[in-house]
Amino acid sequence: MAESKSLIKIKPNSYKSGDIVKVSFMVMHPMETGLRKDKKTGETIPEEYINSVKFEYNGKVITTMNVWETLSVNPVFTINMKVDGAGELKVTYTDNTGKVEETTEKIKPKG
Amino acid sequence: MQRRDFLKSLGVGAASAVVIPSMSFAAEAPKPRGKNALAYNDALGVATGGKKAEVSAKVKLKVPEIAENGAVVPVTVEVEHPMSESDYVKAIHVYATKNANSRCIGVHLSPANGEAMFATRIKLGETQEVVAVAELSNGTFLMASQSVKVTIGGCG
Repeated sequence: MAESKSLIKIKPNSYKSGDIVKVSFMVMHPMETGLRKDKKTGETIPEEYINSVKFEYNGKVITTMNVWETLSVNPVFTINMKVDGAGELKVTYTDNTGKVEETTEKIKPKG
Repeated sequence: MQRRDFLKSLGVGAASAVVIPSMSFAAEAPKPRGKNALAYNDALGVATGGKKAEVSAKVKLKVPEIAENGAVVPVTVEVEHPMSESDYVKAIHVYATKNANSRCIGVHLSPANGEAMFATRIKLGETQEVVAVAELSNGTFLMASQSVKVTIGGCG
């Protein structure tokens, strides 16, 4: 299994306190459904998908998601967020194999 | 004569041997695929608790009408509703009606989101309808749907 990577992107690049920004959380993840078969061996590829994602802003949970295997490979989750002062945005995801990973991004409003 | 009878019985036997397994297979065919398989109507019932979701223009679902690659179909849902402490969009659910597991994602929002918007990319196995259901904090459900024509299925 390849090393998974995740990334948080905030649009636009510069924002002020009180603005509503777009937050995209991108993950490198196979999102296997458990229905696909290996073309060479004919064996079913086991399920491996993200089942929950949590967005926390300065320790407060703003959004949670129940995810199913029907999302695309390397999924992107985009939500809106109201900037409320400087701080940190933490995104945690878990998958059905029990893997938990978190990514953080600094929130630095200008003015 | 004996040889002819023997061949006849063999022929019948072979034919029945072919027919019977295929019939039993056909009886098993509608078995759901995958561990999380859930049909759309059941999945919607679980999310809304049996309440009826009303079709509303407030829910804006953006999906391409024709998706060349079913493995990556961008979906954007926007709900025109205030996000104040007392009245906000509680959740957005996305369903693909004909996928083995019709549930795609359930997003639980809070007033801290500012605006109710959600975007992702989903897999579609065949040509079908994509449905977005928005749950408001007062307990009502609004929905929007759009059919998507899929050229190459993405749920191998």
